[in-house]
Amino acid sequence: MINYDFLTTSKLEKALNYLDKSAYVKVIAGGTDILVDIHNKSKRLPEISHLLDISHIATLNFIQQVDHHIEIGPLVTHSGLIHESLIKNNFPVLVEAANTIGSTQIRNRGTIGGNICNASPAADLLPPLIALKAELILTGKREERIIPLKTFLTAPYKTVIQPHELLSKIIIPILGDNYYTDFQKIGRRKALSISRLSLALVTKIDKKGIFLDTRVVPGSATPYPQSLPETEKAINGKSIFNINLEEIGKITSEEMVFITGERWSTPYKKPTIAVLTKRALKKIIEEAKTNE
Amino acid sequence: MNKIIVTFSVNGKEITLKVGPQERLLDTLREQLKLTGTKEGCSIGECGACTVILDGKAVSSCLILTGQIGGSEVFTIEGLEKDGKLDPLQQAFIDYNAVQCGFCTPGMLMSAKALLMHNSHPTREKIKTALDGNLCRCTGYEQIIEAIESVAK
Amino acid sequence: MLHAKVLRSRYPHAKINKIEIKRALTFPKVKALLTAADIPNNEFGVIIQNQQVLAKEYVYYIGDGIAMVAAETEEAAERALELIEVDYEELPGIYDPEEASKKAALRVHPELKDNQVVHHILRKGDVNDGFAQSDIILEREYSTQFIEHSYIEPEAIVAVPHDNNHLITIYGSIQNPFACRNAVASVLMVNLNEVRIIQNHIGGSFGGKDEVMSAMAARASVLALKTKRPVKMVNSRYESILESYKRHPYKMKYKIGASRDGKLLSMEIQCIADSGAYACQTPFVTWRSVVQATGPYNLSNVKTDTYGYYTNNVYTGAMRGYGSPQIIFAQESLMDELAGELNMSPVEIRLKNIYHNNSITASGQKLDNHKVSLEEVMGKAVKASGYYGKYDLYRDNRSKPGDKKRGIGIAISFRGCSLGAEAVDAAGAVVAIQKDGSILITSGLAENGQGLKTVLSQIAAEELGVDMKRVIYLELDTSISPDSGSTVASRGTILGGNAVKEAMIKLKNRILEMTAKKYKMKEKNIIIKDDHLIEKNTNKILLSFEKAVELAYQEGVCLSALGWYHAPDISWNEETGQGRPYFTYVYGCQIAEVEVDVGTGKVDLLKMTAAHDVGKAINPACLKGQIYGGVMMGMGYGLMEELETDKGYIKNANFDEYLIPTIKDMPEINPIIVENPDPNGPFGAKSIGEPTLEIGAAAIANAVAQATGKRIRHLPLNLERVLLGYSLSKGGRKK
Repeated sequence: MINYDFLTTSKLEKALNYLDKSAYVKVIAGGTDILVDIHNKSKRLPEISHLLDISHIATLNFIQQVDHHIEIGPLVTHSGLIHESLIKNNFPVLVEAANTIGSTQIRNRGTIGGNICNASPAADLLPPLIALKAELILTGKREERIIPLKTFLTAPYKTVIQPHELLSKIIIPILGDNYYTDFQKIGRRKALSISRLSLALVTKIDKKGIFLDTRVVPGSATPYPQSLPETEKAINGKSIFNINLEEIGKITSEEMVFITGERWSTPYKKPTIAVLTKRALKKIIEEAKTNE
Repeated sequence: MNKIIVTFSVNGKEITLKVGPQERLLDTLREQLKLTGTKEGCSIGECGACTVILDGKAVSSCLILTGQIGGSEVFTIEGLEKDGKLDPLQQAFIDYNAVQCGFCTPGMLMSAKALLMHNSHPTREKIKTALDGNLCRCTGYEQIIEAIESVAK
Repeated sequence: MLHAKVLRSRYPHAKINKIEIKRALTFPKVKALLTAADIPNNEFGVIIQNQQVLAKEYVYYIGDGIAMVAAETEEAAERALELIEVDYEELPGIYDPEEASKKAALRVHPELKDNQVVHHILRKGDVNDGFAQSDIILEREYSTQFIEHSYIEPEAIVAVPHDNNHLITIYGSIQNPFACRNAVASVLMVNLNEVRIIQNHIGGSFGGKDEVMSAMAARASVLALKTKRPVKMVNSRYESILESYKRHPYKMKYKIGASRDGKLLSMEIQCIADSGAYACQTPFVTWRSVVQATGPYNLSNVKTDTYGYYTNNVYTGAMRGYGSPQIIFAQESLMDELAGELNMSPVEIRLKNIYHNNSITASGQKLDNHKVSLEEVMGKAVKASGYYGKYDLYRDNRSKPGDKKRGIGIAISFRGCSLGAEAVDAAGAVVAIQKDGSILITSGLAENGQGLKTVLSQIAAEELGVDMKRVIYLELDTSISPDSGSTVASRGTILGGNAVKEAMIKLKNRILEMTAKKYKMKEKNIIIKDDHLIEKNTNKILLSFEKAVELAYQEGVCLSALGWYHAPDISWNEETGQGRPYFTYVYGCQIAEVEVDVGTGKVDLLKMTAAHDVGKAINPACLKGQIYGGVMMGMGYGLMEELETDKGYIKNANFDEYLIPTIKDMPEINPIIVENPDPNGPFGAKSIGEPTLEIGAAAIANAVAQATGKRIRHLPLNLERVLLGYSLSKGGRKK
């Protein structure tokens, strides 16, 4: 049994003070990951002296547009993301991903901040957030830093966040014109389903039908979600009219295996990551063609 | 370990309680308040048997620490019935044979109630989404959906 | 009340050298800490008494309990458990029943001569003759997986010592209170009448709350008697999945011989069941398999052998279906494979071979005492599902481009009702009409959520001629209800209904006799209808039911009656498998329509048409509920459920990784109730509970095979099996 004491505050400064004072204080917001780990006595858990409840810090719960960015507070729940028009209009791929998380009950409590900081290889929001080039603000008692999400993750369930820091803001640049996005997920059933494999794809297609600025980020495919630069390079510059999807799929599979090495799940994931990539591209191409 | 004093409302009544730091809302409801309608099926938020409505939203009470809900409104299955009269949802569950062993039923009713509180005419798809975190092993779900549809008409 | 928790084994197979309890025993709030040494008689079992209440010298599987603590709070009990130190000697184990069957195999129970729990035999005709005459012979192997019952309520018991003249009273989520009482009395070494089991509302069971509850009840009783206080024991989901018994995985070898035009001539079958650490109900589960393994097809030559073997896996026992879902998956897949080889349609080949009235089964039983309605249920399901058109359409579409492929598949079953040769098949009910006309019923059969209370109340009211609202159906109490065996084998309505009916007939006759005397009429001219006693020919109301009861009470007429129903005789020759194994049968057909994503392996079950002959539908809404529920459980069996084990360790011990279907996975379900009143059943009713579950996976497998053109012979048809043809597991390739 894991023993801990409980702290709660509605003030960000107080929370940062607690975190600054001790490295054994662990943050809880929605609780949908940490309380499961505690119940299961997960070996991944560090030593915890206190659980610090931040769910009442109102200043961490917001969605706003600032110039050409959308800023999201870490306490926004998955349900909150799904129902917010700023997110629906600007980042439908994020809404698609959030809709596949767990269940209604989980989506009502789980937060975007929790999904990011828990850093599960299967976290559903990470692939779209990375593909959208999200940046994070990590705030400590004395200083603050901004870090791209892609460098925030370092290993399964591991991030660069320091014990005294709190994720206080997620910043996503609004996509310009002619950007297309898609999200694919394979699960073993249609709800309460941990992703077996997923894919977020963001790309721009210019007036001539050429792919530009493509971001391809699979989920549950690599030790931590990361983009596939070789795949992105192979797509950029191609035309929607003659791109060889088979070829791209092959490159995606090979790049994934290159990153992970041969694992027990590779016989399944190798062919299916290619399938998801092809499907995402096919959908986007059809959309682009209709928009012409 | 230090106990926490927390004030919140349950089924419309405000209460102040002393709770342990690790005490889950599920434990508080069942053990302290003797509201045993909310059930424990899996302890990890995967079955929905512990569903209650917190500030208008369906949540799994096994994944909430009571210390977290100061100032909130909790609505449990015991709060559906009003002055001895069953909620239309409860009557519908009876009329449509939506109850077999009954263990998942409180959670199902809570998820359904939370849905109808925000959307009084949901489609079948929306009903399924609202109940997607409530497992049932007996009924095959069909008659539960029919019961909710009858209230949602 | 004290709370109790159990320490379970660290290893699947080990010797216990020492259990150090000092630190745990002195932990604050702990009131008792006991081990096997404190159990009066540590071994129980319905058939073979080798299941340990707590592990004595050896642990035989990962869920074996070793010690138990009763404390003032659940938390204190859990913390105390952590302080118990067990010195184990880890031992090599055996985890494959085929390995366990070999002569030189490591013996799970060293005191036994080998690992065989049971071997059932069925011989009819001469299979070699049959094969010699066959134009085509197919040999195939099929296998199925461990399944967890997944009742949403985990196991729970409260044991109260020295209560109401009993040594111990046990309240709990117990499917079979009489079996539980047998176990507890034998463990405590006391008379049956000293143990009282009261069944509370159960949150689902499906066969799963039997021996695991007996063990829990025995443990809680010993603690309660030691501490002289009530003891509550509740399992977490994790503990439940770790300890409770599962559905038997089967490995099946089928050899079938047929003529060129699809007439079955010969069948040779071998089934090997994994019994896990204890015998539990393996002998009976594998017995149903030996009776039904051919499927409902006419065959002159059959050779069937079913075996159960001990392993160090989690033990296996009763689960809805009880040895039928496994063989139906095999036999129905095989029929489709044969149809494919002969270029016949799956419906055609079945119609050519299915039982009709007076057909003779593999056991030599002539089906002559009820309507054999296989053709009817098949016809109705085929028509309602649009099978023929879709079969052709999907077959033609298979070669077209596209990743989504549809398929339609059919499966049928016949099922022997009630226990057959397993045990005494009799049930009783006590009906007590109170002097104000209200009625109390207690039956030896139990409400598990399936609606037994409602159906038996309906039968009672219908037989008597009064409104069902008069009836209160009591919780089963072993000290009051007549021992009727277990509420299993879909026997609730047919056995329980007949018993209630008999009691009602006795009471009705007494009331009619008294009324006839009072009104100077002939008894046969009076009926009870709509809560009144009425002159039959004129419909003249004589008096109200309440008035008649009041009069009867005044006259000293006995208003309580016991109804007892003993099922018709069955017979079984153990050496030949010939006889009359069941007194009647039910028939079912399910047709599944799927869409397979051949790019990812995901199978979407679009529609399930389920036609079931139930004899008579006493409560159609409840029947439909059983069909919906059974179809979903069959879907889980076919597509997503699998308890994964690795050298005896259980890898997915909670609902995040053991997956049962959610509401979103539901197909469109079309339930078709077929009624051919059975002379053996109350108002013609027979069985529904298990038939609805046992067929689905086979229908889905046949649909997937049509959609993809590839046959998968192992369940479940998960993503990997459908995409790759084999399943994956941490560590590499599985079957």
